[in-house]
Amino acid sequence: MDWLTKLMSLDRRYIFLFVAIGTALPILFPIGFKVSITPPVRNIYDKVESLGPEDVVMFSFDYGPSTSPENDPMADATLRHCLSRGIKVIVIALYPVGGVTMADQSLSRVLADFPQVRRGIDYVHLGYKSGSQATMKQMGESMAAVFPTDRYGTPLEEIPLMKRVRNYDDMRLVVSFATGIIGEWWANLINAQFHVPIAVGCTAVSAPKYYAYLNSGQMIGLLGGLKGASEYEKLLIDHYPDARATYDRAGLYTAIKGMDAQTVIHTVILVFIILGNVAFLAGRGKR
Amino acid sequence: MRFLRLQMPLMLTALAGLIPIVAFFMSPDVEWSQWLKDRLERYMVIIASFAILLGVVNVVQSNVRKIERRQKGWPYGATLLFGMLAMATIGILGSFRVGPFQGIGYTPDGGRTPFQWGAEFVFSPLQATMFALLAFFMASAAFRAFRARNLEATILLVAAGVVMLGRIPFGESILGGRPYLAKFTEWLMDWPNAAAQRGIMIGAALGAASLSLRVIVGIERSFLGLEKNE
Amino acid sequence: MELLGVWVASFLTLCIFSFLYKDNPFFRFAESLFAGVSLGYYIGQEANQTIRPNLVEPLASDFAGNWDLLIPLLIGVNLYTRYVPKTNWWARWSLAIYVGYYVGVNMVQKLHGEVLPQMQSTIVPFSLAGGWLGLVNSAILFVGVLTVLVYFFFSLEHKGIVGGASRIGVWFLMLGFGAAFGYTVMGRVSLLIGRLNYLIIRWIMGTIQSLG
Repeated sequence: MDWLTKLMSLDRRYIFLFVAIGTALPILFPIGFKVSITPPVRNIYDKVESLGPEDVVMFSFDYGPSTSPENDPMADATLRHCLSRGIKVIVIALYPVGGVTMADQSLSRVLADFPQVRRGIDYVHLGYKSGSQATMKQMGESMAAVFPTDRYGTPLEEIPLMKRVRNYDDMRLVVSFATGIIGEWWANLINAQFHVPIAVGCTAVSAPKYYAYLNSGQMIGLLGGLKGASEYEKLLIDHYPDARATYDRAGLYTAIKGMDAQTVIHTVILVFIILGNVAFLAGRGKR
Repeated sequence: MRFLRLQMPLMLTALAGLIPIVAFFMSPDVEWSQWLKDRLERYMVIIASFAILLGVVNVVQSNVRKIERRQKGWPYGATLLFGMLAMATIGILGSFRVGPFQGIGYTPDGGRTPFQWGAEFVFSPLQATMFALLAFFMASAAFRAFRARNLEATILLVAAGVVMLGRIPFGESILGGRPYLAKFTEWLMDWPNAAAQRGIMIGAALGAASLSLRVIVGIERSFLGLEKNE
Repeated sequence: MELLGVWVASFLTLCIFSFLYKDNPFFRFAESLFAGVSLGYYIGQEANQTIRPNLVEPLASDFAGNWDLLIPLLIGVNLYTRYVPKTNWWARWSLAIYVGYYVGVNMVQKLHGEVLPQMQSTIVPFSLAGGWLGLVNSAILFVGVLTVLVYFFFSLEHKGIVGGASRIGVWFLMLGFGAAFGYTVMGRVSLLIGRLNYLIIRWIMGTIQSLG
């Protein structure tokens, strides 16, 4: 097993090259693997399906550019779903390192496909606010106390949608797209104290922890990483013809397309792990 | 003087900590409690803004010192300060709509303000790429270090392998197109994983709650730069 | 400007990726620029999104009705006195209020939002209402949580029954960590997919399309 020993002392830059090629090839030559739906994602989809034009959903952008490849597709898909159903949307950001920029970009991408949606009537972008838990608790009393104006400087009392949304009691769902602990705060602080239904779209790194909140009923659903995002996109494509046209657009980064590369790289890394362990066990056997 | 330097901060910690706790247990009809909690929450939104920027002073001081003394790597310190000043200046000018800097987001016609341009084409790609590097190091580490040395490591390895395969489309259909692996992965996440995460969560939460209590009653004082017996 | 922006973003992306070959001045330049621009971004966003609408504008438009906002302004500015040698102890007052408030919130949040709901959904009667699988799952959850908590109880020596329970707890932890590792791989790879997608689709193909 000399070749195994040689493999174990391979310069790590070759491993980097493998990973880069394994990721780039499916982007250049899409494979089109099938996506299956899991219950945590289905629950969020079904909840949004049960809502209509009289209902208000709040989106909290609690992530930054560091995790945008995972969180952007889930934010876009959920936003498209709500706007397709005429649900009124409030957008905020609580993540200081780029949350509001992510919100700006997501709205910019999605609203391009919804020219009939009116700012201040069908959706409102309140922007970012510091203060984390203080801000989240204060929104339970009064949104206007936290956000005196929207992102663009319009006073809240002049915004028609905000005339009927005072606090969490007026919202049917809050969806947080989170990279760190803020998503947990929505479950263990806001759901616990104000009982507003919470759904979280989190990065894959934090997803395992959220299953405990899901299991205890503190969240209604979970979008875990790129996989979760791809499932939501699939649900949209299957039930909304306009969404299919959007997601088939060439050059658009989608989670479904990303899962092709994900599949290849997971396989590559698993092969690396197996090879490494074969060499390890072979070495142990020799001794 | 000792009272102002030591006892007063500890009393303020206790007061600020007790206000949200007392308000939580009081009925919403107890107006003075809710009013105090409301006021403090509104103030904290503003105070948090100042607190977040506290580190900036430290960074500026250390990099200015580095440049003045021409220490090794001083041009990078200058790059840091240039980046910070450029972004902060257009951000503040845009916030107060001075001259050509009207805002910091997208303009009403869909164009980008200078701050938004910097956020989208400098800040975002830099942050995203820094974290994207981790994929390479993780693959290298998995190859070199992830070994089934004992039973516990083997359990970890097998669970990781199941999840990695079960969460990709190829792995879901590996058993002749039947979704057994996907369902097993979902079960693993819902029950054994949830049990482990819950145990960790309860333990950590109890620890955090007791630390919070220690801070409020003044036993834990290190955040003020004080020792226990000071 | 859009194409120029994409070229700038791609150049900076490649500067960071060059570290994979070896440390070099391009990477160091991009790293320093990242640190500086991040701080500038913070400052700009805080000024625009909190300081201006929640502090400056209320004071400027109606000082008599909002004079109490001078209190958080004073507390916030006072935090910076820690950098002035003679008066650096003044900052303790502001820090005391800031830390005190958040530990107070945290204490209730942890107990009411984490410990109680999590324990409530663990200690449920075993029943066949959810079938045999439901019964087994409830048992797994209960045993898993209990044994993990036993593992973290270091005041008792881990031997005998406690040692046995602790060992089972370790197995559950390994299952949890293994699942976490699998998801971590997914998470990190996703970030790389995003960046390579940007370079290939937006930069290379985008440039070819605009030239074509």
